[in-house]
Amino acid sequence: MSKWMPSKGQAALWTGAVLCALLSIPAPCPFNGGPQRAAVPTLAVPTGAMSEPDAVSPTAVPAADNTPGNRSPAHPQRPSTPPSKRPPTGGAHPNHPTPPTPNRPNAAPAEPGSTHRPSVPAQPPSAVPGTPVQPPVGAAPGATPAPSPGVAATPGVIWPTEKLRIRVIDGRTLQPLPGAEVVLIETEQRAVTDRNGYTPWIDAPIIRNPRYRPMVQELHGQLGVIAYKNGYRDSVHLGIRMHEGARSEATVWMYKIGPGDTRIEPVLYQVPYHHLWLIQLADKFRSKTQPGEGPERP
Amino acid sequence: MTRLRCAALSTAGVTAALLTWWMPSATPTAHALQTVDNTPLPSVIRVAIRENNPNGEPDPRGRIVWVQTVPFDTYCKDVLPNEWMPGWNIEALKAGAMAVRMFAWFHHLHPVTIDGFTFDVDNTTNFQSFRYLSDQPQTNRAVDEVRKFAYVKPDGAIIELNYRAGYENNPNWQYRNAQKMAQWGSEYWAEQGRNWLQILQFYYMDRTLRQITS
Repeated sequence: MSKWMPSKGQAALWTGAVLCALLSIPAPCPFNGGPQRAAVPTLAVPTGAMSEPDAVSPTAVPAADNTPGNRSPAHPQRPSTPPSKRPPTGGAHPNHPTPPTPNRPNAAPAEPGSTHRPSVPAQPPSAVPGTPVQPPVGAAPGATPAPSPGVAATPGVIWPTEKLRIRVIDGRTLQPLPGAEVVLIETEQRAVTDRNGYTPWIDAPIIRNPRYRPMVQELHGQLGVIAYKNGYRDSVHLGIRMHEGARSEATVWMYKIGPGDTRIEPVLYQVPYHHLWLIQLADKFRSKTQPGEGPERP
Repeated sequence: MTRLRCAALSTAGVTAALLTWWMPSATPTAHALQTVDNTPLPSVIRVAIRENNPNGEPDPRGRIVWVQTVPFDTYCKDVLPNEWMPGWNIEALKAGAMAVRMFAWFHHLHPVTIDGFTFDVDNTTNFQSFRYLSDQPQTNRAVDEVRKFAYVKPDGAIIELNYRAGYENNPNWQYRNAQKMAQWGSEYWAEQGRNWLQILQFYYMDRTLRQITS
């Protein structure tokens, strides 16, 4: 009677089964006969590499293609922008340890000199016609309050800010309109124009359309304002361009209500996209077989 | 006899035609070279406003609605933020301001008439993107700083400084060969530390910077 000895293959099978049971590896184990999982894209990274800080996780977004053929890589921000100006994509911010709650879009603290007036339904006293125009609290015309770290116009996202002021003029006479109240739609900030038609400089967020972030991020942020003044049609001014590192101005036209105006509705003005970005957007998806008319022609 | 008369008449006709072709016209016109020395900087410029497309953007193929006369300086300040990005390096903006000014100056000297409208430029990318009252503080500063200069041929002739978008983060050498400035290239070189004159010299060869006396 011969003594039974396992073969090398059987020993390897048993050893594998014991290791699978002990280590509880979630990967499909061909030895235990369990149900095969759906194919999950995993990266074949050595175990030692995964412990490094910059190890690539399976869910990480692929890095931007910087090959010469791809002239417009999907960049999250302009490369020339300093890192301090880049908008964080999460709620965490060095100056905001607690991320803003979704129910409070104006989570940025009101600073002295700024024009933050979140959700104030009543008009400020200076907006009443006939009264001397008073700038918002602590913000004299032309004053530049200290820059705020960011404005949470989008829940969970704190955007970088830059200075913005609005000039309100009469659309027909092109004369400045004092006492007009201007509301920044995205942050509900309010400001009143002075006798030259200018609002104070306010900290406005640089909001880029998230739809285009994975493709070609917009070169400028876009904001909208509404201007109100008694005797004038409301003016909605959308698409105001905001740039990192540069102050921005926008001119809003308001049109006086005449005796023949029976249907009084807001006036809309839409600032077009900057054509440099449109060129980038079109060039991003240009195929090699159908080049079309690229920017190099003529 | 009749044959001889016909031959004489045809010879006279050919001679008259040759004389008409060879002789200068009765009202000769002088075409003096328009240089920065004999041509003042324009005070205004005529901008044809083309109709907007349904999205509210000026349509380069839209019909001309009216011609707006704009102060020349205002025109340059309302073009630059729509052609260059106001957040770019100031040296790139100054190079762009010079290109915008010289482009407008050249076309002011060469107006066109389309559909009964005589104008110098229009408000679309047919010429330069122009939006009235769209000036920005940073681009205004760039226009002001190059106001006293002109970038012309060595003999002072006013030329059109043309430009195209180019590619981002790229020196855009191919535009240099075409005597055009790349807008993205101007930002690239400014970030590399070059000033606005060096950027102009890179893209426009055999040109010189002149001071405007007028």
